[in-house]
Amino acid sequence: MFKIVVCVKAVPDPKEAHKIKIDPATKTLTRTDVPLVLNLLDKNAMELALQLKEQLDAHITVLSMGPPAAGNIVKECLALGGNQGFLLSDRAFGGADAYATAYTLAKGIEKIGAFDLIVCGMASSDGSTEWVGPEMAAFLKIPVVTRVNEIVETGKEWWKVKASLENGYRLMQVKLPAVFTVTRELNTPKSLSFSGIIKARKKEITEWNIHQLGVSEKTVGQKGSPTIVSDLATVDGKRTVELISGTREEKADQLVQKLAEAGVI
Amino acid sequence: MENQLGPVWVIAEQIDCRILPVSFQLVGQARILADRLKTSVETVLLGDQMDAQIHQLFAAGADRVYLGNAPELTYYQPEIYTEMIVRLAKAHRPEIMLIGSTSVGTELAPLVAARLHTGLTAHCIDLVLDDKKILEQKIPAYGGMISIICPEKRPQMATIASGVFPQPDLDENRTGEIVPLEIPAEIPHRIQTLEIVREEPDGIPLESAPIVVAGGAGAGDPEGWKIIADLSETLNAALGSTRPAVDEGWIELESMIGQSGKMVSPELYIGVGLSGELQHMVGIAGAKVMVAINNDAKAPIFEQVDYGIVDDCREFVPVLIEKIKEYQEKLVTC
Amino acid sequence: MIDFTFTEEQEMFRKAAREFAETTVKPKISEMEETGKFSDELVKALGEAEMMALTIPEEYGGLGLGYTVRMIAVEEISKVSVAVGMMLQVCALGIEPILKFGTEEQKKKYLPAMAKGERIGSTAVTEATGGSDPSGIRTTYRKEGNEYILNGRKCFITNSHIGDTITVLAKDDENPKAFSTFVVEGGTEGFKPTREEHKLGMRGCNTGELAFENCRVPAENLIGEEGKGMRVALSAIGDVGRGGMVGCALGVQAACLEASVKFANERILYGKPISNLQTIQNKLADMKIDLDAGQLLGYRASSMQDSGMRSSNEFAVAKYFTTEAAQRAAKMAVDIHGGYGCMEEYAVSRYLRDSFVLGPSAGTSDIMKVIIARWVLS
Repeated sequence: MFKIVVCVKAVPDPKEAHKIKIDPATKTLTRTDVPLVLNLLDKNAMELALQLKEQLDAHITVLSMGPPAAGNIVKECLALGGNQGFLLSDRAFGGADAYATAYTLAKGIEKIGAFDLIVCGMASSDGSTEWVGPEMAAFLKIPVVTRVNEIVETGKEWWKVKASLENGYRLMQVKLPAVFTVTRELNTPKSLSFSGIIKARKKEITEWNIHQLGVSEKTVGQKGSPTIVSDLATVDGKRTVELISGTREEKADQLVQKLAEAGVI
Repeated sequence: MENQLGPVWVIAEQIDCRILPVSFQLVGQARILADRLKTSVETVLLGDQMDAQIHQLFAAGADRVYLGNAPELTYYQPEIYTEMIVRLAKAHRPEIMLIGSTSVGTELAPLVAARLHTGLTAHCIDLVLDDKKILEQKIPAYGGMISIICPEKRPQMATIASGVFPQPDLDENRTGEIVPLEIPAEIPHRIQTLEIVREEPDGIPLESAPIVVAGGAGAGDPEGWKIIADLSETLNAALGSTRPAVDEGWIELESMIGQSGKMVSPELYIGVGLSGELQHMVGIAGAKVMVAINNDAKAPIFEQVDYGIVDDCREFVPVLIEKIKEYQEKLVTC
Repeated sequence: MIDFTFTEEQEMFRKAAREFAETTVKPKISEMEETGKFSDELVKALGEAEMMALTIPEEYGGLGLGYTVRMIAVEEISKVSVAVGMMLQVCALGIEPILKFGTEEQKKKYLPAMAKGERIGSTAVTEATGGSDPSGIRTTYRKEGNEYILNGRKCFITNSHIGDTITVLAKDDENPKAFSTFVVEGGTEGFKPTREEHKLGMRGCNTGELAFENCRVPAENLIGEEGKGMRVALSAIGDVGRGGMVGCALGVQAACLEASVKFANERILYGKPISNLQTIQNKLADMKIDLDAGQLLGYRASSMQDSGMRSSNEFAVAKYFTTEAAQRAAKMAVDIHGGYGCMEEYAVSRYLRDSFVLGPSAGTSDIMKVIIARWVLS
């Protein structure tokens, strides 16, 4: 059976994320209680797995590293059609940079067992590095294609996929097992369904802490991160705004006038 | 002897056998860092038929170029490129490694960083050496700026977008050392770039457009986005966006302006339906006049522009387009 | 601690309903407002999204998720379009008499198709001579061999034209105290939907008249016992009908609050957003209080219903409260928007018109009070 692992992340709801700010006095983040949702690009990753499940009769494992609340998004992925879920959760995993995150996830994948394909969104909406997919691949010693926007050909071992480039693509031939990170253009994710949520009741989510995962504290979380945040600072806006008011017509007139006077239109 | 620190490296990138502008920008910045660290600037360049361009790297400030010059290297080949750079890094122990945050760089950098067990920062908008000579990598986040450092592991790696650092002045008299590279024999062959296909982008490139209109989540839906696109067309502007608009599928990633996208420096910037998050605003380097249209009076953008209109962009922009057209007609008839 | 929170699973159901409302229902709103028609595409989409299967047990092809999940779904859809919320809630209303009083054969015949949205249901009680007073109806039935002959007219029936599996209340033509409820299928000889109403609100939700002229209904379509049909019809309306209105009203309340907050943050007067002004804040607070109260009343009743307890009184309280609150919320929302509130491009003007259709549906506010007083006095 073709085995797929989908790595997903719980991120602050992008619609509310702007409420998280730096407090210049304490140099910490405020409003960190913004609700967590499934990272948008991970939905495209799940959708790829679901399409392959149908095509190739595949088994989908959903994996995430996060706080206990991240269990909800693993459940959501099972409701979308994943077969089983794993959540790597421990205080020791906290504060991880991309390197430590990729390492921890790679260890999780090794513990889960053999696989043919690992899929994840190309980036998360909060970290936005795009590092985790490739670094996981490096730790697992398998190839990776980032920014996959089309599966051209599946095969017994060799697949052909397109990876998005500025103004074009590169056509890659890759031997599985491999990691794919996916773009928004790859597919249109299906929505949650009521019966999917019902079916998810019987599906198992296993939680592993640091002992169960079998890794040393020094290799994960903040301790396992080569990078750290050394400073948080606010930035002052540099311009004083003139708010133009009036009826819609008046505002438009005034704006055009100001821009004409400045010589920019 | 002062020179205990390893060199500052730039992994240069070429497309169609031409070195990208971002590589020169990074060499220029590497030179500044290296001078402060009293060390040298070295560049790794992998490609084919690159001979004619190497002197430009020296002119930009490089002291040494490690050159892989062979047909097999024409395209970015993940396993080969990674292996060659990792071996070189292990041998020459750079202190700092800079890579352009292009599509390719964004894949290559983490592959190298993981193999070297070192830290990597994405989309830096500034690099500063602190008083301990550690590289502070600055990125915008949470409405402010955070500094990231890699205190112990080496090299300290960072990716930087084109346009963050200026094109360096070229000193044609500078020369340097070329170190030719062999392609290693024992590399697993599990992935290959078969071909690279590029299309010419339509419209005015963002980086050089005199007027830039940028849209964000406030467009609401494709209909709303079209209204913003119409504004851009009316002004003969280049159309850019924030990340949410790309995520929604209204515009492609290449048009995203910001920390992980393009840098623009227009005469006029109009931000429509976007809140003014720092990740986007850092992509605007010195516009002469900045305007914002947003229906949320509390949006951060209203502290960063010259003129602000608080209104629903879907309702206001069509009216604005009419007024601009009237103005343009008057210009023609004068 | 009494647990007033929804379970994780219920939150996921809510998310699924919201996603459907935003991707599939929202684009249909302007078409519905313009044409007054409920699109076939949307009926199909609702069926595919399993929206009609919620209250039907698994053994009859449904999802067996119960009345709380059903209220959640109606609420989320009504936030975007209460016209669609209303259509959906009446589907469940049409299902209920068959579910609660039907024979095994009837359930097997109708419920699986209704779960898929292949059969669209409704319950027809109201007539020109009685809605609040159902005993005043004049549609009659008489038995003839193995058929019942129905004669009369029903009015203000939701899903009148798009429905094809209607449970109809009629009076014994020889005994004015005996009532029976029948399933009348679309295409039955002597049955046809006639006039379509043009309502001030909930446009696109199909409301109209049904005419029965010597309509021949097979005897096996009688639901429950002959002569005991009032109970069949009214119990469906009392719980599922009222419950559906609660879901609709909560959706309208929430939509009014959300639109008002957005506008209040955007509208600048005296150099600041009007959300800074106390009179606006008072209205927002009122809307929030009513919304919280309405949700607590509604979900209390649906929880009781799910656990098999009698709940029609609690539903009467919730129905009264939420439908009245939705009308207040809509007025406040329009007031907050000032002149813009009267303009069709602003959704709040639609919420105002929609809110007025909430009142008389599934029992007027005055009737709710009669029921509640009876409850208190008993």
